[in-house]
Amino acid sequence: MPRAKDLDTVAPDDIINSTPKSPLPPRPIKKLQNKKIKHLHQPSNEKSHSTQFRQNIYGILGKTKHPFSSFLVKPKVFNFRERDTDEEIILVLRRHWITNLTWILITISMIIGPILLTTVPLLESFPPAYQFISIIFWYLITFIYSFEQLLSWYFNVYIITDERVIDIDFNNLLSKNFSEAKISMIQDVTSTIIGVSQTFFNFGNIQIQTAAEVPEITFEKVPNPEIIIKVLGQLRQEEELENIEGRVK
Amino acid sequence: MEIINNYILLATKFIFLLGTLIYFIFALIVVKQTTTLSRSVYDKFNTILIIFSYAHLAFSFFLILLTFIIL
Repeated sequence: MPRAKDLDTVAPDDIINSTPKSPLPPRPIKKLQNKKIKHLHQPSNEKSHSTQFRQNIYGILGKTKHPFSSFLVKPKVFNFRERDTDEEIILVLRRHWITNLTWILITISMIIGPILLTTVPLLESFPPAYQFISIIFWYLITFIYSFEQLLSWYFNVYIITDERVIDIDFNNLLSKNFSEAKISMIQDVTSTIIGVSQTFFNFGNIQIQTAAEVPEITFEKVPNPEIIIKVLGQLRQEEELENIEGRVK
Repeated sequence: MEIINNYILLATKFIFLLGTLIYFIFALIVVKQTTTLSRSVYDKFNTILIIFSYAHLAFSFFLILLTFIIL
């Protein structure tokens, strides 16, 4: 009895010829070395998305006006200890300069204080040497008061990188508070501008609620809160796109 | 009366010396603070701030010497 040639009806013990003979002669295999291979997942597209987002962000932010600004866009010199090697610093924030006005005024009044003492004879009962030492001591205290205030302003920074938001607080020598949240962990961002000075000089607080260990990060009295919210929105969009494309760092 | 005045001046001198010594320790802490902060956060003006803190330390030491010499 002749065996059926249909594969569906082949018996398990049948010998199958895996290389059926072709009536045509074998074709030579073409070399693909110098030809461009198109992928479904194009890295150039990913890069263009990323650069487009980054251009949008820097377009929103503008440029830093002066190095003592409390709104530093992509600073060239700035660095912090906990920074990752490939992490890009987008924005560095400090409290608005107007918040320094209180201690500047106090310092000025402390400087002119000893001049006022000439009219009020408080130190006259002391010998001149004591008066001299007292005045020097007073000016040193004035200096250190203003210096400590300046340090507090200068080293309390809020950083926005391409991966996370960071709040570095130094209250004194013994207390340093470092809190961070990944951009992808940000759930909600709100800003509050309260009072005449905040409205007039356009600064306020930004509350960033996160799904990370630190539930909320607050940027206190930072300039241009609405711009910062826009930038964080762009970064979140970029992060979501990265998640979809599967190129999360 | 003069003896009382001398005692008051002596006590004042002691207070001044103690004050300047405590201030010198505080100035040392400020130097330490500034260098520690500068290591954590680096920016353009860190060097200037460190120089200021050391200048302040030098002035506070100068004040101790001055208190010893003048008073």
